[in-house]
Amino acid sequence: MNLSLAFQLMAQPDVNFALILPEVIVSIAGVLVMMVDAFSRRADQRWATGGLSLAGLLGAAGACLWLWSGGAGERVTAFNGMVVLDRLRLSFTLVFIIVSALTVLISMIWVERERLPAGEFHSLLLFATAGMMLMASGGDLVIVFLGLEVLSIATYVMAGFRRTDTRSNESSLKYFILGSFSSAFLLYGIALVYGGTAVNTPGGISAGTTNISEIAARLDDGMYPPLIFAGAAMMLVGFGFKIATAPFHVWTPDVYEGAPTPVTAFMAAGPKAAGFAAFMRVFLFAFPFAVAATGTATSAQVHAAWLGALSVIAILTMTVGNVVALVQRNVKRMLAYSSIAHAGYALVGFVAAGATGDATQQSDAVAAVVFYLLAYALMNLGAFAVVTMIARGGDRRTEIEDYYGIGFRAPVLSFALSIFLLSLLGVPLTAGFMGKVVVFREALSQGFASGNQLLVALVVIGVLNTAVSVYYYLGLIVAMFFRERTTEWSAPRVPASISVTLALTVLGVFYLGIFPGRVIDAFRSVQTTAVTRLK
Amino acid sequence: MFELNAYLPILLMFVVAIVFAVGNVALSQVVGQRKQTRTKLMPYECGKDPVGSARERFSVKFYLIAMIFILFDIELIFLMPWAVVFRTLVTNGLGTLVYVEMMLFVALLLVGYVYVLKKGLFNWSESARREAEAEGRVLAEMDSRRQAQRAPVTRAA
Repeated sequence: MNLSLAFQLMAQPDVNFALILPEVIVSIAGVLVMMVDAFSRRADQRWATGGLSLAGLLGAAGACLWLWSGGAGERVTAFNGMVVLDRLRLSFTLVFIIVSALTVLISMIWVERERLPAGEFHSLLLFATAGMMLMASGGDLVIVFLGLEVLSIATYVMAGFRRTDTRSNESSLKYFILGSFSSAFLLYGIALVYGGTAVNTPGGISAGTTNISEIAARLDDGMYPPLIFAGAAMMLVGFGFKIATAPFHVWTPDVYEGAPTPVTAFMAAGPKAAGFAAFMRVFLFAFPFAVAATGTATSAQVHAAWLGALSVIAILTMTVGNVVALVQRNVKRMLAYSSIAHAGYALVGFVAAGATGDATQQSDAVAAVVFYLLAYALMNLGAFAVVTMIARGGDRRTEIEDYYGIGFRAPVLSFALSIFLLSLLGVPLTAGFMGKVVVFREALSQGFASGNQLLVALVVIGVLNTAVSVYYYLGLIVAMFFRERTTEWSAPRVPASISVTLALTVLGVFYLGIFPGRVIDAFRSVQTTAVTRLK
Repeated sequence: MFELNAYLPILLMFVVAIVFAVGNVALSQVVGQRKQTRTKLMPYECGKDPVGSARERFSVKFYLIAMIFILFDIELIFLMPWAVVFRTLVTNGLGTLVYVEMMLFVALLLVGYVYVLKKGLFNWSESARREAEAEGRVLAEMDSRRQAQRAPVTRAA
């Protein structure tokens, strides 16, 4: 961009603060929590900062719904294309808010038990949430990357939040080093795409672009097509790391096991969903299905390349996650591998969304993925809330042996955990089942309609993997109810905030499992305009 | 597709740089004289005799101060281009918006400063100990409160 153009853009800045209201509210709440933390006594902090965080998240949810009702489905951009408003963004933003609110509820009792600074934790959580929202709302690769960094830096700190525990330190350091490495991949990919989208115009060679819809428009005219391929591949690696897909998943079990349990709950649900939001935004809209292009055009080739790579990644992710989870003896590691497997199932929906050129079908598939991630977030947070309670101080009791025979001695916790495990497995009437149904249905219907055998194969492999996962999910239930306990054990007292969390998540799991229609319809209805406008 | 010819001078530049650097070291190895004396083999510390090991541990507080310094350094870096184009922006009728946004940015940094101030980053010795003691008292109080809460439950059981 040359200087005069820069001035011209600055002269008409497309400022629209209403469009980033949820992000602004969450950030302000984060700053307020920081101030409360600084000016109040530590003993009184928990309720003040926790309540303030919940209020901020509630305000953001209100703003989000207001945008939802006011947006009327029209795709709006602001700040010169930096921020977009569409269903993809709004539905994901709601998922993030739900995840953060539940994490606040889980963490309220935990921060006191572990004698950790509550204010610091809650403000970091809110800043991480703001980062996730930015990732979903970015219309430009730069904003997506910025959101990713805001999220990641807060999460690195949260992973090492129990400072005196070496496992927590190890988790934080591993996450930081590998996370920075993958961020570098992503950034390099962005730089290459920027270089690859330089266009030779009559007025001279224009600079490249990082605007997502602009990239899509320039794919076939770019001066350096190989750079676009290399850039897309590197972004695939960067995002693949963030959502823990199979060749890039190695960090996940260590980080999830070492991090404090409420943080693990957050990391498995929130940042993963945010990664999916950014991943889908970038690949579906910057490298879209090229309807008009011939097979040799760059746009068609890039699309075919990433779709093929993503299908292989989805197969690997599902299989590796489920097979390795079979041999885990630690519940947190097991749930970490299960979260890898669930990323694989969600990727099936992503592939289905990418494989179609039809806007309605695509938005349906995207809605299915969002629904899946919402269902996963609920059951995952519920399961980790129970794990937090059973782990006791210092996260010491997380082995499967620690769950032996607790079934009828702590009925509330063990029955709730059983429900979440059955939902993770995908038993009918639960959210996990409905999530798998909608994702696999999108893939199947498209696979049959277009004769795309790959999608059908993905669904078959997904179902086979679900059968594999029965062993370890039911294994934990068997451990709780049918194994003898040899050591002394007394049931932990369930505090009010955890009870509320469990009640909300159990209700959510059943609501999404039995009446999924309303939620799916809300997610799917209007996103079509975003796609048609981009063509 | 790629016009790499244009980059040939840069490649040559790299080659020359490597040859120059490696060549000079190698040359001095080959033709240079070696007279090793005790004084020559001592670590060089600005002409003074070295005292003790250089591998000392620094208090983490120095790093914290350095980090705060970088924070405000960056603030200045952001203020600089803003100040340069501010007059142009005012003539374009954007003065208020841009001014308010920059003040918001500065205020946010100020919030961070107040936070570290209240967290006692600059209280290095005396007050730090007092705070640690006070915190210990608070934690003990929280413990005893929790004990008191638990007591009736055990009686009931």
